[in-house]
Amino acid sequence: MNAHILAKCQRFIESLAHMRKLKMRVIRADEKSITVVLPVQEQLINHAFDTYMHGGVLTTLVDTASSLSTIPALKEYELCPTLDLRIDHMSTPVLSQPLYAYAECYRVTRNVLFTRATVYQENPEKPVAYAISTFMRPGEGNTDPAFKAVIDGDNVEEVN
Amino acid sequence: MDTLQSLVSEAHKTGDYQPVIDLIPYARVIGVKCERFGEEMIFRLPRNPENIGNPTIPAIHGGVIASFMELTAAFELTLQLEQPALAKIIDFSVDYMRAGLDRDTFAMCKIERQGRRVGNCSITAWQDRKSHPIASARGHFLLDTLSSFR
Repeated sequence: MNAHILAKCQRFIESLAHMRKLKMRVIRADEKSITVVLPVQEQLINHAFDTYMHGGVLTTLVDTASSLSTIPALKEYELCPTLDLRIDHMSTPVLSQPLYAYAECYRVTRNVLFTRATVYQENPEKPVAYAISTFMRPGEGNTDPAFKAVIDGDNVEEVN
Repeated sequence: MDTLQSLVSEAHKTGDYQPVIDLIPYARVIGVKCERFGEEMIFRLPRNPENIGNPTIPAIHGGVIASFMELTAAFELTLQLEQPALAKIIDFSVDYMRAGLDRDTFAMCKIERQGRRVGNCSITAWQDRKSHPIASARGHFLLDTLSSFR
């Protein structure tokens, strides 16, 4: 666990409107990987059809977790757009448990970042989905400086 | 509670697909809409400040675009089936071509192959023009999930 990286990831997730809407949080972060949680919430449940109802939201969770895993992988914050994302669904998540996404960025090159992610519920050994993804690096100095400052925590007042 | 089957046949009759779309909570959260033009269905994701994932451009969250495309495919399959069932996702792969700007986004799904159990789809998403896609995706869906919706 690395408090500095965790704080950076937390600032990133809090600065995005859609992440706030879904109440996503980073619960673990270190130099290699991050874990995000999507809590159980009323807006994602349809009580009439008690079955596959996470439809789509798992994809958003995976994209977010993969994108977050690029933060510890880079020295300076760069806002990296997704190039592609592939998800394999192993089993149907249950509605009564939060969804966790563990992601790591396993290879960094000058232009591209490669990530992999695992989505699970109660048991990390029994994933509900696997994903691999690539991200494009804008390059140092090509990320909006104001946004970079927010993520790096240089400008704490703006975050609150 | 209406069965899925009656919801789908009612939607085909009236051309109002919202009751079917609203079955999936996340489709409601991001605001998916659907319009039918003859036999073609075009799905629409209206501009929504809550869908932003890159505040600097600003651009729609990549996950929202992928989810919108995934839902487009799931609905297209559900609505085309003789015995409607909510299609269940097996795998999904999306390529991003351009940033999805803070405006309306559209998507269409082409069913490449529909077997008894599995449907293979390709999906295109665009904003200003269809020949200028922001993303393309493909996915497989399991179709024999009717029993769980009875």
